[in-house]
Amino acid sequence: MANIKEIKTRIESVINTRQITNAMKMVSASKLRKAQKNIVQARPYANRLNEMIEMIKLKNTTTTHPLLAEVKKSGEEVVVVVTSDRGLCGAFNAHIIRTTNEYLTEHPHAKLICVGKKGCDYFKNHSDKIIGKYVDFFNEMNFGVSKEIASKVTELYLNEKYSKIVVIYNEFKSIIQQNIIAKQILPIIPQKSKNLSLIDFIYEPNEDIIIENLGKKYVNVSIWRILLESSAAEQGARMTAMESATENATELIHTLKLTYNRARQAAITKEIIEIASGANAIK
Amino acid sequence: MDKILLEVIQPTQTEISLECDHVIVPGVDGDFGVDFNHTSFVTLIRPGILRVYQGENLVEYAIHEGFVTVEDNKIVIICETIESVKNLDVARAKSAKERAEKRLKSSSEKIDYRRAEASLKRAIARLAICK
Repeated sequence: MANIKEIKTRIESVINTRQITNAMKMVSASKLRKAQKNIVQARPYANRLNEMIEMIKLKNTTTTHPLLAEVKKSGEEVVVVVTSDRGLCGAFNAHIIRTTNEYLTEHPHAKLICVGKKGCDYFKNHSDKIIGKYVDFFNEMNFGVSKEIASKVTELYLNEKYSKIVVIYNEFKSIIQQNIIAKQILPIIPQKSKNLSLIDFIYEPNEDIIIENLGKKYVNVSIWRILLESSAAEQGARMTAMESATENATELIHTLKLTYNRARQAAITKEIIEIASGANAIK
Repeated sequence: MDKILLEVIQPTQTEISLECDHVIVPGVDGDFGVDFNHTSFVTLIRPGILRVYQGENLVEYAIHEGFVTVEDNKIVIICETIESVKNLDVARAKSAKERAEKRLKSSSEKIDYRRAEASLKRAIARLAICK
C-alpha cells in the first residue's frame, strides 16, 4: 500500500493541475470569441473584393495579368504552413504537419513558409526548404502581419520562379472540429458569388493597375482570413483539449481519493488490531 | 435633392454606411466629386481627405489607400484604414510626419523610401483635416 502522505501530495498536485487546465479553457473561450468577432468583421470586406475580382475576370476573359492567370506557368510551388505559436491544443499542429509532409512527398521541390512557432520548430531540419518564417504574433493579431506575409508571397509569385502559392491551415468548423484545408491563393481563383451585377465600369487610371492593386488586396485579405480562421480553430482545439484534461484530472482525483481513504482505513485498522492485541497480551 | 449612399468597408472594423448629397474623393489621378447619377466608375485612392457633404454639414475623413467604386448612386470605398477627425491623434501624426521627413532626408541605403514616403503622405493627410 502506497504511503498516505505520498498520495495526499499527489492529490494536491492533480488539483492544482486541474485548476490550471480549467483556467486555460476559460482563457481560450474568451480568445475564441474575439477571433470569431474578427472573422465576422472581415467578411464584408473580403466579399466585396471577391465580387470585384470575379466581375473583372468575367468581363475580361482575355486578361493576361499574372495574378489572375489561369494558365499554369512552370515553376516550383510555395507552401505556407499555418500552425500555432503555443502547444497544448490537442492534435491541432500534428494534423497540419502531417498534411504538409504528405504534400511535400507529392511535390518534392516545393518551398515552405512557416507561420507559427510550432511549424518552424518541426521543419527546422529542412532549412533548405524554408524561405520565410513568421512567429509570435497570434497573441496580438493585426492586419499588419498578414499584409507582410501577403506582400512577401505576392512578390515571390510575381518576381521569382514560383508558380503557385498554397496555404495549409486549420479551418474553424466548430469548437470541437477543425478541417484541414490546402487553399491556393495565387493565382487568384475567386469564389462564385451569388448576386453579381455586371456593370460597365470606367477604369481609372487603367485596368491593369486596378487588377494589380485589387489582386494584392485580395491576397492580403485572404491571408488575414486564414490567420483568423486558424487562430479561432487553435483556440477551439485548445478549449476542447483543456476540457478533457480537466475531466481526466477530476477522474484521477476521484481514484486517488479512493486509494487514499483505503490506505487511511487500513492504517486505522492496523492500529486498532495492534492496540487490541496489546490489551489482550496484558490480560 | 436625391441622396447617394456612401459605404466604407474595412477589414478590421465595422463598416460605415451613410446617406449624403455630395462626396469628394482623393483619387490617384486627382480629387473628384460624386453627385447623384454619377457614371459607373472604379479607381484607386491616394492618401488624402474624403469629404462628405450632408446638406450644410461637412464630415471629413483621413483616408490612406484603397478603392472606390461608383455604381447606381452608391459609392463603395474599400480601404484598410479610415479615420474621422474625432478619432485622430494629432501628436502622433505630427511625430510620424517628422520621422518620415527625417528619413527621407537622410541618405542611408537601408531606408525604404517608398514606405517613408507613404507614411509622410499619410501623416500629411491626417494633419490636414485637423486644422
